[in-house]
Amino acid sequence: MKQLYYKVDKCLGCKSCEIACAVAHSLSGELFNTLQEEVLSLPRKKVLYYKDKNYPVSCRHCKEPKCVDACMAKALVYDKEKGMVLHDTERCVGCWMCVMVCPYAAIRPNLKTKIPLRCDRCNDKDNPACVEACPTGAIIWQEETGLRV
Amino acid sequence: MRQFVIIGNSAAGIAAVEGIRKKDRNSKIIVISDEDYLSYCRCLISYYLAGEVKEEKIFYRPESFYKDNNVELFLNKKVSRVEPKKNRLICEDKSIFGYDCLLIATGARPKFPDIPGIKKRGVFGFRTLKDAKEIAGVLALTKTACILGGGLIGLKAASALKKRNVEVKVVVKSKQVLSQMLDFEAANFVLRQLEKNGIEVIFGQDVSEIIGNGDIKAVKLESGKVFGCSLVIVGKGILPNIDLIKETEINTNEGICVDNLLNTNVSNIYAAGDCAQTLDVTTGTSSVNALWPIAVEEGRIAGRNMAGENISYDGSLGMNSLEVFGLPVVSLGIYKIKEDLASQFEELKFQDPKANIYKKLILKDNLLVGAILVGDIKNSGLFLKIIREKINVTSFKERLLKDNFGFPEIMDLVNARSKLYV
Amino acid sequence: MEEIKAKSIDQATQEILRKAKEENIKTAWERLEAQQPQCGFGQLGLCCTICNMGPCRIDPFGEGAQMGVCGANQDTIAARNLARKIAAGAAAHSDHGRDVAETLSLMAKGQAHDYAILDIEKLKALAEEFDIDTHRNEKEIVQELARKLLAEFGRQEAELVFLTRAPKKRQAIWKKLGILPRGIDREIVELLHTTNMGVDNDYRNLITTSLCCALSDGWGGSMVATELQDIILGSPQPVRGKVNLGVLKKDYVNVVVHGHEPILSEMAVKASQDAELIKLAKSKGAQGINLAGICCTANEVLMRHGIPVAGNFLQQELAIITGAVEVMMVDAQCIMPALKEVASCFHTKLITTNPKARFPGVIHIEFHPEKAYEVAKEIIKLAIENFSNRDKDRVDIPKQEVDLVSGFTKEIIFQILGGRYRASYKPLNEAIISGRLRGVAGVVGCNNPKQTHDYFHTTLVKELIKNDVLVLQTGCSAIASAKQGLLIPEAAEAYAGKGLKEICEAVGIPPVLHLGSCVDNSRILTAASQIIAEGGLGEDLSDLPAAGCAPEWMSEKALAIGFYFVASGIYTIFGASPFPILGSKNLTDYLTSGLEQLIGGRFEFCADPLKMARLMLEHIDKKRQALNLRPVMYA
Repeated sequence: MKQLYYKVDKCLGCKSCEIACAVAHSLSGELFNTLQEEVLSLPRKKVLYYKDKNYPVSCRHCKEPKCVDACMAKALVYDKEKGMVLHDTERCVGCWMCVMVCPYAAIRPNLKTKIPLRCDRCNDKDNPACVEACPTGAIIWQEETGLRV
Repeated sequence: MRQFVIIGNSAAGIAAVEGIRKKDRNSKIIVISDEDYLSYCRCLISYYLAGEVKEEKIFYRPESFYKDNNVELFLNKKVSRVEPKKNRLICEDKSIFGYDCLLIATGARPKFPDIPGIKKRGVFGFRTLKDAKEIAGVLALTKTACILGGGLIGLKAASALKKRNVEVKVVVKSKQVLSQMLDFEAANFVLRQLEKNGIEVIFGQDVSEIIGNGDIKAVKLESGKVFGCSLVIVGKGILPNIDLIKETEINTNEGICVDNLLNTNVSNIYAAGDCAQTLDVTTGTSSVNALWPIAVEEGRIAGRNMAGENISYDGSLGMNSLEVFGLPVVSLGIYKIKEDLASQFEELKFQDPKANIYKKLILKDNLLVGAILVGDIKNSGLFLKIIREKINVTSFKERLLKDNFGFPEIMDLVNARSKLYV
Repeated sequence: MEEIKAKSIDQATQEILRKAKEENIKTAWERLEAQQPQCGFGQLGLCCTICNMGPCRIDPFGEGAQMGVCGANQDTIAARNLARKIAAGAAAHSDHGRDVAETLSLMAKGQAHDYAILDIEKLKALAEEFDIDTHRNEKEIVQELARKLLAEFGRQEAELVFLTRAPKKRQAIWKKLGILPRGIDREIVELLHTTNMGVDNDYRNLITTSLCCALSDGWGGSMVATELQDIILGSPQPVRGKVNLGVLKKDYVNVVVHGHEPILSEMAVKASQDAELIKLAKSKGAQGINLAGICCTANEVLMRHGIPVAGNFLQQELAIITGAVEVMMVDAQCIMPALKEVASCFHTKLITTNPKARFPGVIHIEFHPEKAYEVAKEIIKLAIENFSNRDKDRVDIPKQEVDLVSGFTKEIIFQILGGRYRASYKPLNEAIISGRLRGVAGVVGCNNPKQTHDYFHTTLVKELIKNDVLVLQTGCSAIASAKQGLLIPEAAEAYAGKGLKEICEAVGIPPVLHLGSCVDNSRILTAASQIIAEGGLGEDLSDLPAAGCAPEWMSEKALAIGFYFVASGIYTIFGASPFPILGSKNLTDYLTSGLEQLIGGRFEFCADPLKMARLMLEHIDKKRQALNLRPVMYA
């Protein structure tokens, strides 16, 4: 199962991953048009700063996800095969229970759409958009067991 | 092969089934429910009433869940008493079930005030899908509704009815809404949002009588004032469903007392969810924290322990999340400090009324013990973690309420170290 | 599509790109790829590095910071960034113009004896514009003109003389808006001043100042450059030439001139024809000396001497990769820093000549007008000596070599259309009025590897001429069309609509007219003003059934040009990548719509050449309608 890792020493805080994430989840999939869309696509990843280093934060798809337990609408399911929390936005009612319990504050409430935003690892794409967007190679997308740094 | 019986088919009951099956694929599991529906998302009934969620989307697990997990389900069956000594329970319909291990996950029911007219047709609790359906059934004839109580249930009902174009008046005894989860200031943010959306709230009053012959015509307030309405929803708090063990040796207080394994004082009887009373990590006392995510957590741990594991529950805490016409509100742990204890606590506050943002953190001895977040809730999970893990916040206290405060700042302080940042 | 075909539609370019790939030589396309992802904040204009409290960024999604440290919001930041680029673009054109004026000044002092006044008629016409008594002797006129032209740069009050070339109504609009440029330098300085931290925070006002600065380029610096180059180097005449990498010759000493300033390359032309040097070349085993150009220096020597054009902006590295270039001598602007690296893969000597534009570790032979020919000869000699270092096995010259006709100026169009004895724009105006011609379009600007090289230029131009629009071109855009065979009279038969074809056949011109380098965009302004003066097509430039477009732009200079076109009332489209301002909705809306009310022109951003053509045609038709012109003859 692949996971996103971050070489924090390489992260310059350019937030390209944030932008790429929003664009990847927009209707047009293209920067300039993304900003013109009626419902603004928002990033599911945020780069936070702490003690001279930058940390991209997004859903890490915990194996025992608190958000899945907390979801009162059964919109969240942990898919063991994919190693991912799947979010059924059709069922989601925007109660923010998942936001309330996420210990990483990695689920971001989109108050406009009333749907929480979480990393979906760009679903079926080979590489998540943030990985491709990172200009310094700070975001690594690789098997959990095979991590070599 | 053992026989597990679970009373209750909601959050805790279902989580317990999944907890048991994690370890034990073979033993028999019987689930008994006094409701007429397969397990559904109880908290969604307000969305259902508002017309935002269709019935087919309200079910918590697919129909196949019971078969897949080898569960025998009994609906419409109310357990009237448990007989611990005989390891059996007796239902209202006289049927009897024996068990090797029992989970009581009977939940809670609305408290109805003892006032004239409370039994009239048109007075509802707002707890079950049945309630929601019955209320929905009378909406065509309802112009005005009166909600008794300004708590979470009352406000969710009020919002739902407003969305169905019913005039809503909320009668609240105290001076604020959501007095069980917010302080006065935060409550005012919610109040403004309610009023902006056309919901009237009357403070400092109780309903003293529900008037009408057969159908409801009006309610009368303590002040003597009367206003017309044809629907009354009662949201004056809940009572844990513990009557079925009233005459047993199982310890109860407000709810059923359990230890850190969710075990009652009877070794093969467990309790979880809204009927159970667990350690509150913020107050250090034992209390009922009735909330879906807590019920799921407790149910899962109880189930696993019933199946022979030995998992400790580190306690619950009062928390809730609510969305009021687009305004998100989260409350965690201690939300109000009694005046005489004020010197022991420290408050951190940020507010921006223009942006509808109010954030307050309550600290004791540099430990976070509670939080109220209105408008900006993105870090609530982080605060929950800090509360639960009793992380000393001295070094980053002034950062807590900053907009860009985040997980990296507590990364080195939490129990399980993050392996993602290399 | 094959990867290389997505890079360029030009076959010669494709061929050399294949070679580059095989030999692992990186070009702009690979470097663009290596730059991916390009910063979204930069692309949206939301990154501010103006003061040292920053760098600051505005979160385009409205979640994070909405103000820089100083409090500037997305509108201020995007507008300031844009304004600085315009100032830089205007500075480049205008400083080029100043250098030409200084050459004229040196000539007057008798210090630049390699040059002579080659267009005396034009000298006199210009002198009259500047209120100089033309009955004086030539030297005095030149002296006075040089003084007055140089004074235009430092002028502090009143307004630039060339502005009076514009229609009265246009001048009145500028006056009303307070954007009549005073001095060329002053407007650039003022614009830079206003973009400092804590000066102008109103995006609309920043755009007003930018428009003024751009006018000081189009009707100032660039116009000085064009006019004086014509006077010193001779006004272009229609001339046949050849274009594309195929113009490099296998057995010749190949010297490529590249950049923008023709004063030295003019001497290189002379030196390449120097009998002694040719003899020297032959003694080294070459058949002779072959001079070719890249970018606007190429356009300049093409327009005046028919010197072949090796390619446009994106082909500068490719010319070297042919392995057949002995010397690439460069002056200023659009010279890729990468040339040094690419040249080091071959025997090619890169030689810088402009003291303002140097590379570390590259041969620098500084140009001075006082010893111009000497410098040029020295460089050509170096090339000849380098011929023997050429590795003949690594020479690959694509065969593409296309005919073109260039050398159209505002005066020439005048003469061609009206005939030498009744030179007039009347026939052109009449053609538009009658609907035989739909209108006129300026298609100009750079290349940009972000989009398929030459594809936008030529697709747009073809679509325009198909719809009976006469296309005026300059710069790398003109070279793109030339390579596709659009700059020959026969192209009318192949591509033009019926009305345009009739005109082209009647007067023997191509449907696409090459007006010169990018400073020669000023020729378009003057030509358009003369069309208005001729009558029948409105009173202002904004009344004309005309539109402008920079389909593959990349340079700050393109922004300055776009701004002086719009400030002159022309609807102007920018291709593929829009201005880096989309992060500010207010500014974007202002430039693409609000501005029109104010100044008669506006911008449009469009990433599809056929759509660009449609928008331009719609605009032209709208203007025709407003003028109550007859319907287009062959719609």
